[in-house]
Amino acid sequence: MKETPDPASAPSNSATSAAPDLKEIASLIETGAYAREVRRIARAIRLTMALRRKLKTSVVSAFLNFALTPGSEAHSRLSSYLPKEDDHEMEVDTATSVVQAPVKHSLPELEIFSYLLVLIFLIDQKRYSEAKACSSASIARLKNINRRTVDVLASRLYFYYSLSYEHTGDLAEIRGNLLALHQIATLRHDELGQETLLNLLLRNYLHYNLYDQAEKLRSKAPRFEAHSNQQFCRYLFYLGKIRTIQLEYTDAKESLLQAARKAPIAALCFRIQCTKWAVIVRLLLGEIPERTVFMQKGMETALRPYFELTNAVRIGDLELFKSVAEKFSETFSLDRTQNLIVRLRHNVIRTGLRNISISYSRISLTDVAKKLRLDSPNPVADAESIVSKAIRDGAIDATIDHAKGWMVSKETGDIYSTNEPQMAFNSRIAFCLNMHNEAVRALRFPPNSHKEKEIAEKRRERQQQEQELAKHIAEEDDDEF
Amino acid sequence: MDPKLTEVSQYFERFKAACVREDIDTSANLLSQLKVLLTSFRSLPPLFEVTPNAVQELTIARDIYEHAVLLSVKMGDQDAFERDFFQLKPYYTDARKRLPRSPQEHMILGLNLLRLLVQNRIAEFHTELELLPAESLEDPCIKHAVELEQSFMEGAYNRVLTAKQTVPNQSYDYFMDLLAKTVRDEIAGCSEKAYDFLSINDARQMLLFSSDNELLKYINEEHPEWEIKDGSVIFQKAKETAPCKEIPSLQLINQTLSYARELERIV
Repeated sequence: MKETPDPASAPSNSATSAAPDLKEIASLIETGAYAREVRRIARAIRLTMALRRKLKTSVVSAFLNFALTPGSEAHSRLSSYLPKEDDHEMEVDTATSVVQAPVKHSLPELEIFSYLLVLIFLIDQKRYSEAKACSSASIARLKNINRRTVDVLASRLYFYYSLSYEHTGDLAEIRGNLLALHQIATLRHDELGQETLLNLLLRNYLHYNLYDQAEKLRSKAPRFEAHSNQQFCRYLFYLGKIRTIQLEYTDAKESLLQAARKAPIAALCFRIQCTKWAVIVRLLLGEIPERTVFMQKGMETALRPYFELTNAVRIGDLELFKSVAEKFSETFSLDRTQNLIVRLRHNVIRTGLRNISISYSRISLTDVAKKLRLDSPNPVADAESIVSKAIRDGAIDATIDHAKGWMVSKETGDIYSTNEPQMAFNSRIAFCLNMHNEAVRALRFPPNSHKEKEIAEKRRERQQQEQELAKHIAEEDDDEF
Repeated sequence: MDPKLTEVSQYFERFKAACVREDIDTSANLLSQLKVLLTSFRSLPPLFEVTPNAVQELTIARDIYEHAVLLSVKMGDQDAFERDFFQLKPYYTDARKRLPRSPQEHMILGLNLLRLLVQNRIAEFHTELELLPAESLEDPCIKHAVELEQSFMEGAYNRVLTAKQTVPNQSYDYFMDLLAKTVRDEIAGCSEKAYDFLSINDARQMLLFSSDNELLKYINEEHPEWEIKDGSVIFQKAKETAPCKEIPSLQLINQTLSYARELERIV
């Protein structure tokens, strides 16, 4: 079964340094597959991603000839996706393939990896329809392979499958396939695949604004500890979006802020999106985000409309709010936050009211209506009912005197004499302790380390170290006294 | 034409006539018969097969369900409305490419939004709103529902009540009446917190009663804690006794215990 191809005899006919790197990656995958170590394959994928820019047709076709038996079904199918540019390169390729040992058993991992490579190459070249065909073929091939080591590669394939369909605008077609794949992944206990597919399905539903169905899927899908940080970030972002639309702003804020924090620094656009939604959710909750949020590196221009929006809400001015909303309406509709901005009107009024109630101890309702600039046929009656609702919701502390038609604010007491500081401290302490626990849980140890037998030398060393440590601690204790 | 299709069309004509006559029983009977007949068509959801008569079948089925929805409004049956609306929805969403737009689509969508608002299912209201494309939001029926929700959220209840006059369609009246009742309860709740007392006239005006007796009856039933003294309604403010400085001991104990537990875990 094992027939490792001879790396020395395979010449690198392309001038770039990508070809030998690819061969390294291929050997890494092989060793990983034989030793059943998933981490090597994950590392191989990371190295491939670093090579993305250097991929060219010649490089890819050379790799295909190297990794797959030429003439096999997979090889012919994949080669058909690559354009036949330079004839003389192909000749050299066929020469080398003859030179190599013709008996070469293709590992399924190598085959799937080749699919992945071709797919990445096609997508980077923006040939989306061909990428679509390639990915569908790979998914069909994947259904027959059931090996843990392929899972990592498979989840990448699912991602690019969905991406190629999204670029051609056909996401709805693959929804059934994704659901079936998710089912298969769950049956095979392929947790990384489950995670990836769940995120892809959520993305699919949210693309078409089907928040109801997305929530139903998410609540019923099995949940477990996240395997991949990126997938977890994506999950948090989609969860935050669903919760925002369903008016559960506190949960949404938590998810979105966590997603923005956990995302890798390089994922700038993702973080910008998270920040945009987080800003809106915070505005809807009634709190004003600080200026530093908008001044983060690289995000200033993108967040500019939201910065002006926050300003309008902070001042509590309805006219300014309306003008800002109109000015940036294309940006908002592109981000699909248009409906949320409409909901903000209520918050603008509330903030305006709060400002008024803090500044005046007593103010007539006509003046309130004038200051809020409510454009309605009957502003005083409107103002009165708005104020009474705000009082009932606890946003402002006041009473209305209907006969005389004015609003009287109550004195705000001393906060430190209440339980408020205790609550605030408690939440911060809980957060720090939670973070500590999560960090401990996230520690990873190399597998099989507990199985190594301790050699006598090592044991002596370890005992010596422990003795020294004990002495040290004893000395410290003595010092304290 | 297909014999089944002709039969369905005939029944449908009788159904429409019964609806116009406001004959609820006959309409309900005919509706159940029609629904049974519709199951024999294979081009309807969820199968969506492509048969030669598909477009006509889909159109007739959609019209039947639209009339069913309107009938349930007349009967005042909200559950029936929900059922029929859910059956109607696939015709608007999935079958959009196969059928020309229905003229009553926006009206029925607006009606559904209003129903969700009345039942206080605001989360679903917004989810439904997200599904609508931007042009639908300009339609008067839908705009009416959206503005109503905004006024409701802001607390401008008088605007809600005036909107009753500007109803785009007669079938909206049923829900607007229900909404008026909800609004009245809300106003009562807000007034309780916001005002110390109100004269009887003012209270009557705000709660939209036509006579003092109705007001007194309402207060007796819903808010017995309000007192009525020399021509004014006094809201129960006596609860504002000196807040005794209680220490929430149970909570503090729980918190401190959790700190101790977590600190012990740190190795």
